[in-house]
Amino acid sequence: MALSKNPGGHRGMQESMYSVIALVFILVACVELCDAAAAIDVYRLIQYDMSGSAYGSRFAALNHHAASLHFPPGADLSRAVLIIPLRELNITFVREYINQKKPLGGLLFLLPDIFSFENGGNKQVHEKEQLKNLLAELEQLLIHANIPYPVYFAFENDEIDTVLADIKKNDAIGQPATATTGGYKLVIPTPEPKKVASPTITNIQGWLSGLKADGDTNQLPTIAIVASYDTFGAAPPLSVGSDSNGSGVVALLEIARLFSLLYSNPKTRGRYNLLFGLTSGGPYNYNGTQKWLRSFDQRLRESIDYAICLNSIGSWDNELWIHVSKPPENAYIKQIFEGFSNVAEEMDIKVGLKHKKINISNPRVAWEHEQFSRLRVTAATLSEISTAPELLQGTGGLYDSRQFVNETAITRGVKLVAESLARHIYGHQGKNVQIFADGGSLAVNPAYIQSWLDLLSQTPRVAPFLSKNDPFVMALKKELADHTDEVNMQHEVLEGVFTFYDSTSARLNIYQVASVTFDLLLLLVLGSYLIVLFSFLVITTRGLDDLISLFRRPPSRKVKTA
Amino acid sequence: MTMFHFFNCAILTFGPHAVYYSATPLSECDTLGTSVKAALVYLGTALVKLVCLATFLQVSENDGFDPYQELLKALIGFIDVAGLYFALTQLTHRNISQNHKFQAVGLGWAFADSVLHRLAPLWVGARGLEFTWDYILQGLEANANLVLSISLAALGSLIWLRKNKPKTLIPIIYACAGIVATMPSITSYPRRGLGWHFPKVVGFELFTSLVMAFISWQLFSACQRPYAALLSPMKFRLPSSFVV
Repeated sequence: MALSKNPGGHRGMQESMYSVIALVFILVACVELCDAAAAIDVYRLIQYDMSGSAYGSRFAALNHHAASLHFPPGADLSRAVLIIPLRELNITFVREYINQKKPLGGLLFLLPDIFSFENGGNKQVHEKEQLKNLLAELEQLLIHANIPYPVYFAFENDEIDTVLADIKKNDAIGQPATATTGGYKLVIPTPEPKKVASPTITNIQGWLSGLKADGDTNQLPTIAIVASYDTFGAAPPLSVGSDSNGSGVVALLEIARLFSLLYSNPKTRGRYNLLFGLTSGGPYNYNGTQKWLRSFDQRLRESIDYAICLNSIGSWDNELWIHVSKPPENAYIKQIFEGFSNVAEEMDIKVGLKHKKINISNPRVAWEHEQFSRLRVTAATLSEISTAPELLQGTGGLYDSRQFVNETAITRGVKLVAESLARHIYGHQGKNVQIFADGGSLAVNPAYIQSWLDLLSQTPRVAPFLSKNDPFVMALKKELADHTDEVNMQHEVLEGVFTFYDSTSARLNIYQVASVTFDLLLLLVLGSYLIVLFSFLVITTRGLDDLISLFRRPPSRKVKTA
Repeated sequence: MTMFHFFNCAILTFGPHAVYYSATPLSECDTLGTSVKAALVYLGTALVKLVCLATFLQVSENDGFDPYQELLKALIGFIDVAGLYFALTQLTHRNISQNHKFQAVGLGWAFADSVLHRLAPLWVGARGLEFTWDYILQGLEANANLVLSISLAALGSLIWLRKNKPKTLIPIIYACAGIVATMPSITSYPRRGLGWHFPKVVGFELFTSLVMAFISWQLFSACQRPYAALLSPMKFRLPSSFVV
């Protein structure tokens, strides 16, 4: 009996032991919940490999002291994080640091509010254009460099401004003077970044069937309108690409809406099929467009009369460019250009033609129409940009925020494209007929454009970080499905040239830490306080002799033996 | 460095108790048992107080000074006094002199108070990277609390354990005991009503505790004198352990 009782008792004790141990662990873990002087969201510089070479910031975790640009010359910054507000950025300084591979603990760039959607609003900021250009330059520098320390972006707010002011004050006087301001420590506890496995690119296409006459067995000709919707920038969670190519996507959706209105009625349905394509993989030499075209049936490809690609039509004043790869003397190109020019003249817009030959051996694809041209489909790109962008340039980075896009520009662009297309479809070339006249039922809807533009300006769309069933991709699909007869999605894997790494955003904790000297000083003070207290108590309660006797050696044994 | 800071604050909070124990004759008379028992009585008192506070007190939205609530809290604070009475009179102690008994009880009481109220915040907070002065101030508060507890125990022993006191001093003793017992409520007025910052409040506590300690020391020695005067003719006959 006694034996059976004990195991039960032991088990009870074991359970209570486990609960005590669990409690201890919880208490130990509680340390992590301690509050910091400031905690802000930060976004990491993109990390990617291209053809085996490493680019971007190769590290994510951060645990260093903060320093500002006013650091004393000759100071060792290999264990310090430089906090640089964009307004005070000296690009040559950063370029020097990166190119000469000077050791640094980390970089933190503070971006003004105008580049953020929530707070950007319509603030009038001096030197808006200047800041935009500076940021674009910085971005190009950073994404083409291999940086062996963490680089982060954050938006300015009151907390970090006060912290930075404090750091500047401390740096200006050389060393932190007071014991309590041992400095600020920036801690970002994230795990090491891992490769993004099989990044997918999703192409969405919408098909609007034209009117087939009875007895007509031939395939109707098709006109394609294409825009790429994904972006690439220095900080993926901030790469919203309002102009590149949010404006193109919005324009495409509005054109689809207008033509769906026309095509819904058989009396006004044109004799052309319309193919709307929202492609991904734009920054990567229009990889997605290539895969999309390759997936076409031969017959379909041959039936495409021409394709219009939309790229950045959100911030132009009076001039647009049509880029082609076939020579301008080509009959089809002439026809397209004339159609656009006629409408543009009526709208007071200047349209120029730019010809860029394709070099088959060069993998670089600067415009989306080049992918069509490589498969012998006539195509042109409508854009506000006059010169072909380099690889990973103008792909909707940090500087491309809502502030810099003009809805009126997009509205006019939509009208231009829609009118030109409609005149071609209904055979009204040269005639002064306004199909999408303002104020009519087929007028371009600025509210529609604005709401979609706002949505796009809040959605980062870097392809490797957009999953197959991302809500935004689904939203695009649904919208296109509303305006077209048939919608298809094509999922592909991004080619092996590019490899991306995750860990793109984190939470930065800023702690105000006391210096080591302060702790030692405190220990000294406390030690002497306790010693004084001890002596005081001994003296008052036992007498001074007792205190002295504590330090005397005990009387030697010699006395006893003697 | 953060464990270092925790260690510093810990020795500020708990060091004086250990120093007090070892410096005074308490360590010689081996009064550890008394202190431990007093600590346990404090735990019991704290539990009873908690239950009473939960039952009778309303949670106020604003952090202002509500005299009604403070009065209620002061009344509940008298449970502390009852606990101290229990610790001083009802527990069976080894044969130690009155002088040492109140010190041991006060020490145990203050130590239990520090552990209960200050150990957990110290463990969770002082080990973080962020530096604040709060924990050092809390340690100073613990010191003030030690002094207050010992003076309260002294006054308590005067009230309940000493039978013959000079008549004139009795009202003063009771008044002082009342003030010391309601000291938490008195400090909450500057903290909430006047809105003083923590360092100021701690300074106030230290000052008042030293003042009250001094007063109670004077009262205690004043009550000793007639006793000693009575006893002095017989002093040389009594064994040395009875000398106070």
